[in-house]
Amino acid sequence: MNDAATTDRWIRCLNTLQLVLAGIVIMTPTVWMVLSSFKPSFEVTAYPPTLIFTPTLANYAELTRTTPFLSYALNSLVVTVGSTALGLLFGIPAAFAVSWTRISWPAILTLAARMAPGTLFLLPWYVMFRQVGMIGSYTALILSHAVITLPIVIWVLLPSFDGIPRSVFEAAQVDGCSVTRILWRIALPLVASGVAVSAILAFVFSWNYFLFALVLSNGDSKTLIAAAFNFIGEGSTQWGALMAAATLIALPPLVLAALVQRWLVSGLTLGAVKG
Amino acid sequence: MASISIRNLTKRYGNFTVIPDLNLEIADHEFVVFVGPSGCGKSTLLRIIAGLEPISSGDLYIGDKRVNGVQAAQRDIAMVFQDYALYPHMRVYDNMSFALELRGTSKAEIDARVKRAAALLHIEPYLDRKPKELSGGQRQRVAMGRAIVRNPKAFLFDEPLSNLDAKLRGQVRAEIKALSQQLKTTMVFVTHDQIEAMTMADRIVVLQSGTIQQYDTPETVYERPANQFVAGFIGSPAMNFFPVEWRGESAILSQGETAVPLDREITGRLRQAGNAVLGIRPEHFVLAADAADGVAVTVRLVEPLGSDTLIHFDLAGVSAIARVDPALRPKVGDRLNLRPQPGKTHLFDATNGQVLL
Repeated sequence: MNDAATTDRWIRCLNTLQLVLAGIVIMTPTVWMVLSSFKPSFEVTAYPPTLIFTPTLANYAELTRTTPFLSYALNSLVVTVGSTALGLLFGIPAAFAVSWTRISWPAILTLAARMAPGTLFLLPWYVMFRQVGMIGSYTALILSHAVITLPIVIWVLLPSFDGIPRSVFEAAQVDGCSVTRILWRIALPLVASGVAVSAILAFVFSWNYFLFALVLSNGDSKTLIAAAFNFIGEGSTQWGALMAAATLIALPPLVLAALVQRWLVSGLTLGAVKG
Repeated sequence: MASISIRNLTKRYGNFTVIPDLNLEIADHEFVVFVGPSGCGKSTLLRIIAGLEPISSGDLYIGDKRVNGVQAAQRDIAMVFQDYALYPHMRVYDNMSFALELRGTSKAEIDARVKRAAALLHIEPYLDRKPKELSGGQRQRVAMGRAIVRNPKAFLFDEPLSNLDAKLRGQVRAEIKALSQQLKTTMVFVTHDQIEAMTMADRIVVLQSGTIQQYDTPETVYERPANQFVAGFIGSPAMNFFPVEWRGESAILSQGETAVPLDREITGRLRQAGNAVLGIRPEHFVLAADAADGVAVTVRLVEPLGSDTLIHFDLAGVSAIARVDPALRPKVGDRLNLRPQPGKTHLFDATNGQVLL
């Protein structure tokens, strides 16, 4: 009995230790980034790093003074919300259709598109968008980012739709529902948390996606993540401002994830177990 | 309310034929039960009637209307599913009113119908609850309520009692039967449980491999089974079958060389056939006065059921069961003289299983 209790305690200690170590590994760069953003610029790259310092907002002031930061933020927001909305608009019915018909190749195709390197799309898109005069437009960025958001929505929602017993849809058919109405009235309310999760993941991935914005945007439509790249100069990188920008860029996804943490976990496991 | 007519219906999945050329007429107001073993096509047939499975060939009529290409939504039939298939995110009230709402029924009418059905099924206290807050029996009632409010042309039930415990199953079975008499609507009920079939049906369809083995009243199916399959499927415990042949001037159980006393009618038919399969239900064995009048058997196992007792024994190489009076109190190893009850034996063709008498 005592042996079992001791073993149990050891296992719990080891679990805690594992979690702490994983937490340190995951959080260190983030904490370092946030702390650095509040350090005077000469201390950001000081070695050994200083842990005690006088916090300053100078980097944030520098950021807003030297760059149209809010304008970039607005660009990011428009592109991310637009591409997430587009992903949901097409991804929800697509995932439902794949689940309904059990024809999975369209979903696999979108996954393949997501797994392919972004550079694969970049050249043809650049040529196409330039020919129709859309380079630098929100439309081009939103459409290109839909390649990121659409597969996420489809693949997060697919197990959720699959998890709904088929007989529930059949009951709705017998009750007089068309397929569209079944999606709207029956399936969608049942996968609400999955929709929230897919929206958040799509938002985060689109918000953080760098490559398309770098090539397809111009000065007016540059997104935050692409603009932040400009801080890395040749020999004169503004590390303090870069850290401030990175902190602000990381903020929306972190806040979103924190707000819907419970949904996020339940949504990701939705469909895994039949209720 | 409507009749259902199935004509030359075939259902194939790829190269596999589930239902080959089936014909069936279900009269208006009739309670018909499809019964058969797993994979016999009974649920497929029900789903075809519901419009949830397309027909490969043949015709289906509900009332006078051919509904082959008509969507489930337009067939005006209601269905109760095995797992109830309630909408988990809706309250009981909304589950029941949903179909009416889709049809544009007025709110007052919906309210009246839902409350009437709820009263009929004793689920009024649960109208504001979600399905997950209900027990299995309550969910089953809600599923029935959802069907009743619609006042459909026909009700379809797909093994709705199989998820209930034995006591509740008996109770709900009686309720469905009472409901059918009250509503006077065509009902088609699928089950693999022959007791459900016997107790509820006006007529039973016994299916095997997608073909109808017999379509008749429960009494007829029990008393005059069309073939050996039906005879074995309907009745619990199942009918005992003994290969039998006419030798000399006696009916001999083939494998054991045992002479068995049979009616003149049966022996006459057996004499014509030469050999056949003799069918005797467990409840149709009686104690014989002596060995000369019956067949001597040794009791192998005794199952007292209270109301009667089942005796297991081996006869002519066949493991058989007899149902006897519990007052008999037989013990394992006892020798009993049994004989078939006059007029209650069946004779089947030894090659195709069709009834000979």
